Amino acid sequence: MSKISVTGLRKSFGSNEVLKGLDVEILEGEVVCVIGPSGSGKSTFLRCLNKLDELSAGTVIVDGFNLGDKTVDLNEVRQHIGMVFQHFNLFPHMTVLQNIMLAPVELKKESTADARTTALKLLDRVGLADKATARPAQLSGGQKQRVAIARSLAVNPDIMLFDEATSALDPEMVGEVLQVIRDLAAEGMTMVVVTHEMGFAREVADRVIFMADGVIVEEGTPAELFGNPQQARTQDFLSKVL
Amino acid sequence: MRKITEFRSGKLAVAVTALLALAGGFVGISAAAASQPQAQPNTAVTGETYIIGTDTTFAPFEYRKDGELTGIDMDLIRDIAKNQGFTVEIKSLGFDAALQALQSNQVDGVIAGMSITDERKLIFDFSDPYFDSGVQMAVAEDNTKITGYADLAGETVVAKRGSEGETFANSIKDEYGFTVKALADSATMYDDVKAGNSVAVFDDYPVLAYGISQNNGLKSVTEKEQGSSYGFAVNKGQNPELLAAFNTGLAELKSNGEYQAILDSYLEQPAPVAASGFFGLLSDSLPALMKGLGLTLLATALSIVIALVLGVLFGFFKVSESRVLRGIASVYVSIFRGTPLLVQAFFFYFGLPQLTGQSIDVLTAGVLTLSLNAGAYMTEIVRGGIQSVDPGQTEAGRSLGLGYVTTMRRVVLPQAVKIMTPSFINQFVMTLKDTSLLAVIGFAELTYQGQQIYAANFRTGETLLIVAALYFIVINLLTMLSNKLDKRFNK
Repeated sequence: MSKISVTGLRKSFGSNEVLKGLDVEILEGEVVCVIGPSGSGKSTFLRCLNKLDELSAGTVIVDGFNLGDKTVDLNEVRQHIGMVFQHFNLFPHMTVLQNIMLAPVELKKESTADARTTALKLLDRVGLADKATARPAQLSGGQKQRVAIARSLAVNPDIMLFDEATSALDPEMVGEVLQVIRDLAAEGMTMVVVTHEMGFAREVADRVIFMADGVIVEEGTPAELFGNPQQARTQDFLSKVL
Repeated sequence: MRKITEFRSGKLAVAVTALLALAGGFVGISAAAASQPQAQPNTAVTGETYIIGTDTTFAPFEYRKDGELTGIDMDLIRDIAKNQGFTVEIKSLGFDAALQALQSNQVDGVIAGMSITDERKLIFDFSDPYFDSGVQMAVAEDNTKITGYADLAGETVVAKRGSEGETFANSIKDEYGFTVKALADSATMYDDVKAGNSVAVFDDYPVLAYGISQNNGLKSVTEKEQGSSYGFAVNKGQNPELLAAFNTGLAELKSNGEYQAILDSYLEQPAPVAASGFFGLLSDSLPALMKGLGLTLLATALSIVIALVLGVLFGFFKVSESRVLRGIASVYVSIFRGTPLLVQAFFFYFGLPQLTGQSIDVLTAGVLTLSLNAGAYMTEIVRGGIQSVDPGQTEAGRSLGLGYVTTMRRVVLPQAVKIMTPSFINQFVMTLKDTSLLAVIGFAELTYQGQQIYAANFRTGETLLIVAALYFIVINLLTMLSNKLDKRFNK
């Protein structure tokens, strides 16, 4: 069953067209990695999936909700979609625990006590149980990103979006974050992962999409795309990054 | 209808008023100004209370002694009121301000050692003359070079703006080849001469004589010029019964000898001066200055609270997605940031009543001015604070499913407030200092009280030192307190 269905998606910033008509179907439990050179539109595509960016044309249907429909409650839809950012975007004025508890409590999904229990469980899951009372400024990059993931999971989403989640990290911290994402994949979470980590994409992805200049150039299983790319543009890109 | 066209210092105020009215969209209100209530002629004055405007200091006609307004004018108007059975409420506004207040019907009459001139007769109705004045020149005590008008060639002299002295100085300046500079009050003029910025002052002789008797550091070197007479004035066509009562009362005081007694008490025997030391001045002036400081703090507190509300409101307008709201906030900010605070104060106190026919008390006008002005700066502080929070913070909040308001309240604002706080403290201090500008509309705050004191005792430097020290102490104490609160709550 299709979890995310994108048809004819276009996005322009002023006169600059960043997405030039994308069609993508993503199934429940599928892990899709999006790769491609900088400026190819990967992040914009991801941000259209929870409408952080407005759609210029086309339709995006997530979990049965048509994002183009003005009557759809976007705040409701977004609770189904967790998002992890390149720069973490943790709330610096709150402790780690408060960061995670904010949404469940404000959205009245859980009582404060229940939210605390859930938050501690999530922290334990990302290996940071001892950091509950720390402030984001006291954490390393890798720890921040793991808190950010725990924060997204707190509203119990069934889709996770990762926007270059390891790009801002020191190399020795990339592994700990990838491990958390890998665990989520193993649990059957539907995920769209924009990444520059080709090894990770090859290992974890069910499907890899290669984007360039606002279009999907080629897609396939990791074996197909990395082992036997059909398009010259794909071959050129992979020859530079592998 | 009032005629406000020909009066010199009135012109500027009227022009500014009109300009601001257009900018502020007050045009509709100006129509209401035409239908003002006209006072009934021949109404008995008995039991009535009249508001009388006067100069801040024009000794010996009006000045403060131990905090109380006294002088020839004050004794005269009070005795005439008693004689005619009405009550007066004196407002010490400054000469220009008193005349503008009269034009805008903020006061019913003005007695301020004002010469009766043809120019003024066009816009005011004058009483019978109550004092024959004349202009005299004075120079610094140690000046031996200037002994007559002929020695003024190439020099600068001062005269009081809009006064007989200025008119006279201008009438002979080409003949003797000097330049005339106009200042607002006698104390400032005398200081200007003592400081050597100008070599001589032209002032009304009784004022000059009184000042010299108070050791103001000047001496007169020429005879007095035959000058015009002083009169009590009401706005053209207004309060004729008050004018009539003044004339009747004056005639009675003259015939029963009271009039001469008043003049003698001020001109024959000027009050002996026992110059107290600095600490004597401090203890003498402190009660009045503390009263002024109280009003300064009151105006600051009221203004800053209103400004904060305005700033938050318009600040949110500025970051909203609605073009209309953003436009409203931008217009508000550009009007109040784009015009001087002093002009705004004049507008709200003198201009607005002329447009609406509704008089406004000086505290209200002052707080209105300061809060609208500070509100414009607060708006920019709030906008800047909100916009300086990383947009990623909003995106993180929204991607969790939180609404705009919740994201603002829980994520953006706590961070923005922290960024804004130092600017808020800064604006608070600015507003406190800006209250001193309200002295020009006669708001009796700290600076005004200081002016009153040195205008009577001519000890400008020492008095201003005390005033400045009071501002310094209060501002630094409040800044320390604010910073402490900032540290405590914005950890």
